[in-house]
This record gives sequence, C-alpha cells and structure tokens, in this order.
Amino acid sequence: MSRRFVLALTALLVFVSGMLPVLSMLLRSLRNDDRWSLAAYRGLLGSAHQWALMEHSLVLAALVTGLTLIAGVPLGLLLGKTDLPGRRLYTGLFAVPLLLPPYVLAVSWADLLGPDGLLAGMAGPGIARATAQWLFGLPGCVLVLSAVFLPIPMLLTMIFLRTVDPRLEEAARLLAPWPTVLRGITVPLILPGIALAAVLVFLLSFGEFGVPTFLRYDVFPVESFVQFSAFYDFQAATAAAAPMAGVTLVLLLMEAASLRGRAGQLRLSGLERGLPRIGLGAGRMAWAAATAGLAVALVLVPIGALVAQSAEVAAYQEALRHAGDSLLRSLVYAGIGATLLTAIGFLTGYLVQTRALAVWRAVDSMTLFLFALPGTVIGIGLISLWNTPWTNLVYATPAIIVLGYLAKYTALTSRISATQLGLIPASMEEAAQVAGAGWARRMALIVAPLARRGLAAAWLVGYLFSLRDTDITMLVYPPGHDTLPVRIFTLMANGEPALIAALCTLMIAASVLPLALLALVPRLGRDLQDP
Amino acid sequence: MNIVEIQRVSKRYGRQAVLRDFSLAAGPGERVVILGPSGCGKTTVLRLIAGFEAPDTGQVLLGGQPVSRKGRILVPPEARNLGMVFQDLALWPHLTVRGNLEFGLRARHVPRAERTRRIRETLERVGLGGLEERRPAALSGGQQQRVALARALVLAPRLLLMDEPLSSLDLDLNLRLRREILALHEALGFTLLYVTHDREEAFDIATRVVLMHRGCVILDGSVEEARRRLRDLGRDSS
Repeated sequence: MSRRFVLALTALLVFVSGMLPVLSMLLRSLRNDDRWSLAAYRGLLGSAHQWALMEHSLVLAALVTGLTLIAGVPLGLLLGKTDLPGRRLYTGLFAVPLLLPPYVLAVSWADLLGPDGLLAGMAGPGIARATAQWLFGLPGCVLVLSAVFLPIPMLLTMIFLRTVDPRLEEAARLLAPWPTVLRGITVPLILPGIALAAVLVFLLSFGEFGVPTFLRYDVFPVESFVQFSAFYDFQAATAAAAPMAGVTLVLLLMEAASLRGRAGQLRLSGLERGLPRIGLGAGRMAWAAATAGLAVALVLVPIGALVAQSAEVAAYQEALRHAGDSLLRSLVYAGIGATLLTAIGFLTGYLVQTRALAVWRAVDSMTLFLFALPGTVIGIGLISLWNTPWTNLVYATPAIIVLGYLAKYTALTSRISATQLGLIPASMEEAAQVAGAGWARRMALIVAPLARRGLAAAWLVGYLFSLRDTDITMLVYPPGHDTLPVRIFTLMANGEPALIAALCTLMIAASVLPLALLALVPRLGRDLQDP
Repeated sequence: MNIVEIQRVSKRYGRQAVLRDFSLAAGPGERVVILGPSGCGKTTVLRLIAGFEAPDTGQVLLGGQPVSRKGRILVPPEARNLGMVFQDLALWPHLTVRGNLEFGLRARHVPRAERTRRIRETLERVGLGGLEERRPAALSGGQQQRVALARALVLAPRLLLMDEPLSSLDLDLNLRLRREILALHEALGFTLLYVTHDREEAFDIATRVVLMHRGCVILDGSVEEARRRLRDLGRDSS
C-alpha cells in the first residue's frame, strides 16, 4: 500500500470517527418532522434558565482557567527549569488528578470535607457543615477542577521550556539575573504553550459535567445530557450541544489566529541535561517544602481521604461484586482503545510531521477540535450518526465506545507521535528509501522502532484517557457494556459512601496499573523517562 | 593587569575530559584568537569565562578577581560585564532589534533617554540605523550578525567573546565582517577573545593566537609563530 493511500485512509477515519458525528448532530438539530426548523434553537435561546446555565459554565471555566494558569505556569517553571530536589516525583504527583475521571477527585474531596467526611469526624458537625456548604457549589467545583486541570499548564510549560533554545537564555544571562531572563525571554518564548493550556483548560472545564453534577452546581453541559437521558428529546439534546461546539470552535480559531499554529509545532531544543537550570541556592529546601505542601494539599490529602473512607475489606468485596465486570470491561476497552489510538495517532502524527498530504493541517486541527469538544457533544453526535437499523453492528456493540475514544483522544497520541517523529532526522527514512525499502517496510523497520519511546508514551496516554472517559461512554454504552467510571457515576447518587470510595480507589488502581508495570520493566521505563 | 585569566583549568563532561590544565591570559585591547579543530574545547573556554560552566579544577579571573573556582561560580554571568556573540547568534526572535539591544540596558536600569541614545549610536556604528523596529527574522544573515554584535557592544563591555561568529557566512560577507570587527575593535578598544577553526580568519583577526588540541594549549604566540607551527604540523603529519 502506498504512503498516500494509507495516510488518506487515516485522515478519512479521523473524519468519520469524529467530525462526521458532530456534523450529523448539527444537521439533526435543524430537522423537525422531516422539515428544516430552528424550533429547538428558539426554545433553547428563549429560555432564561439556559442562559443562566451558560453563564454558570462560562464563570466556572474562567475561574478554573485563571487559577490553573496562576499556579500551573510557575509550578511548570519550578519543576522544568530549576534544580528543585525531587522534581520528577512532584511532576508525577501533580499529574495524578488528570489521569482520573474528574468526579473521582470530587468524591475524594467530599470524603474529606463533606457532611460525612473525615473532617466531620475530627472537627465536629458544625465545621463540616460549613465546609460542605462551601464544597457543594461553585467554590468546590473551582477547587476540584483546578486540581484536576492544574497539570495541563504545568506540563505544557515544562514541555515548551524544552523547545526554547538554551543559547537564547544564555545570551540573556550575560545581561540579567534569572528572574529578569524568565520574565523577558523565557516566558514570552513559551507563550504559545501557555495560550494552548489556557484554551484547553477553559474548554475542558466548560464541557465538564461530572464534577458539577456531583457538587450540585448547574451548568450547561448537563442540559444536553438531561435532555437526552431523562426526556429522550434528541432534537433538544443536539440543540443544547451545538452552542458548546460553537464555543470550542471559536476559541480554537482565536488561538490559531493569534499564534499562527506555533503551539502545534514543537521542536525540542535538545536533551534535558543540556538545558540551563536555575540554581535555587540556599532557598532550595524551602521551595521543595512549599512544593511538597501543595502536592499534599491538592493530591495526597483528598486521595488519602478516599482510601481512608474505603478502608474495609467488605467495601472492596462489595465493590467487586457490584462492578467487577465493569472494571474488567474498562481495562479491555481502554487497552483496545489505546492500541488503536497509538496506531492512528502515529499515522496522523507522521502526516502532520511530514506534511505528506495537503490536508495535514485540517487533520491536525480536526483532532484538536475534537479533543477540546465536550464529551457529551461527541457522544450525542455518535448516537446521531450510528443509531440506525443499518449500523446496529457498531451502535449495539462496544465498538461505539472505542469509536468515541478515537474521536476524542487522537489529538493526544498524534501530537506525542509528531513530536517524537520530529526528533528523528529525515535522512533516516531517506537512507532506507535509497536502499530500496518501500514505505511500509521503512515505517515498520526504521521509523517505528526509532519512535518507540513516543509510541509507548502514546499508548500509555491513550490507555489512561480511554480508561477515565465518562462523558462519551455514559451516553453511548450499549446495555450490559458499561465501564467502571460509568458504573461509579450511576451509583454515586444512592450508593454507600464506603462503596463509592472503594470503587474510586479501584479506579485509581486501574489507572496506575500500567505505570506500575513500567516500573517492573526497567528498560521501557528508562526509555520513557529519557527522551 | 590582565582583563581575563584562566589558571590551570580542567573540565570534564561525564567521562570525557574537554579541558586539561588549560591556562590563558589576555590583556587590555588584545585580540586573542583560539584556533583549533571541532571538539577541541574552544567553546568550553568561552563558556567558562562567561560563567555558564564552572571549572572542575583551577580558576577563572576577570580584572584580577576570581569569578569561578573548582566547581563553583562565584560571580554570575550577568555580573561579569562582558559581551558575547554566539555561533548561532541567539537573537531573541520575539523582540525587535531595539528590544534585543534594550534588554541588557533595562536590566542595568539605564535611564530611558540614555538607552535610546546608546541603541541609536551602536546601531549606527554597525550600519543598522533605521532597522530598530525589525524582528530578527526579517533581516538578512549579515544584518543578523551585526545585531548580535551590536547587542554585545551596547553595554560597552571590557571583554568581547565571539564563538565562531562568521562560520555560517559566505566568503565575501565573512571578509567584510572581519574588517568591521577590526574597525570596531580599533574604535572601542575592548579585549577580544575570538574562537574559530578557520586559519585564515584567525590570522586576519588576531594579534595573538592560541592553538588548541584535545583540550590543551599547544601554542600561545604571535600570528607568525602560529603559521610556522601549523606548517610544521602539516609537514609532520604528511
């Protein structure tokens, strides 16, 4: 098979799995009784309640974005640029909440600050009432989502720091101390990364519905879900999803216009050990203590509360009895999803890196748009496209869940692959070509082995994000095929706190499982850590 | 008193010894060229002087004061009052020509009127008057070289370090810029420490040549002495 054919097929697959459902959904929202109609939109836009929900969502997203940037960028600089002791450990710790379904963290904070939480046991019901009142509402949503999305600006800052040519900083170091160099040279150079982080955090917070639902704060994405699952009003559901797609599109276009695509073109400047690091000097231990304090407060304490809440064998027995099959399905679907995401991400990453087809930019933008799009919108779109008698083979089987993973998460594996492929000199593939190898052989024997670290990282990221997916799976799973996050979410309303905590702890265990396996396979672990 | 002095410095990266018992001194107004093949440690010498690296053993002095010694940097780069032109120029792409020159002046709290005057004078001196608001990407290769030179000179350093600054230019431009560097040296009187692997460039620029091989000095002498030694080495190897 020729290179152009395979890449064109991949581009088509990305379109069919993600964009076609969204387009189908938009089309369906404009049809009423086999006629074109704006009735659903009129109902939506004429409702004061909907506008209030939209305002809630926008305020929540703006607050979370502001807070994560204020904390995440300095944290990224501290972990990515200084000689802080234990920075790899802290990076891993702060990243943990991003690997879990966001509502797991909401549950863990409720186990700490809620009316039946640990604090209630220690400080009395009066204090617990006050903290619960604070947690269940906008402040709680901001706290939980900020902890969940803090790793995005932190990690993007760290990644973009590695794209800064060390000479540019050294040239400035001859003239000014580090704080001035960071302000005047380094941060402006990584602005595309910070802007990308801001847009992603805003859109992910805007589209989040699990945490606001649990913490009882009404937001717009819930509307689409409720219209579909409670009233089965598909036209209203699609109309409610359309504004979210619009906001996503507008923000991404603004980001693309202002940065002219610089955020997507990562060129790592060299090996980490070659980068100039800021010596923290005498303040090193104080910085380390402050970082440790933040990690404990944002990650370890809430997760510790969750584990403490479920600290009985009976709770885990009950959890496995209730959701053992869901756990197994989650692992299988996430494994299949990750494998397909890695393969497709590798091909789209190759397409973006080599620009082998004219549509490379469209494919890249499409994957980013779909990643930023609320999961509920993709879910509604998938139902809209595939729920027909002729496509039941897909819709009535777990294939629809995996399609959802491909639609939403290809951007992640594609960009990881593109960055890794950018580190491989073009001459490597050219040399194989000169030697007479066809494209498939070159990819299999030269390019893929050289990009193995990126492929392994892409698989891991694909697995983690497929495993934590709630929004899409919740809408599309066929009867008898729910996953663990969905089962927990449905049990959350009426389940025993100890049972929910045990299920969430199992969810965390399933998420860290591949990381533990990596630790057991030292060579692969080293490969991933040492880019 | 010497402007710069390196005393018995050694430097390793991992297992690889880059400098071995290396010593060098340069007095006021001298033009010292460090000449040697790729990988012989020339750039490391400049990085030690600039303060980006600390020597494993020995010490580096500027104006008679120790600035780094035995694995420790005593004076950070920004306090060493020296200028440097990097091999890849390292012009800040997000700043204009003015911004590139102004960065160091601002860091030293030079008043605005004084900044404007010094930037204008320096740019005119290197023949870039009127290009203040351009970004580096909008300049030709030769203009970029001049911006890098102007950025290094705008703070009136006593010592200018140049790391193969002309290696990427065609011969015509290379020759023209050599003349300009010499003219600037004549006018401003700084001490020049210039690294290159090109013999003709070295002999053209230098008042003194330091020949390096595998991290060691094999000759520190006049241009004529350097020519002779290189001829002898050529004969020996043939």
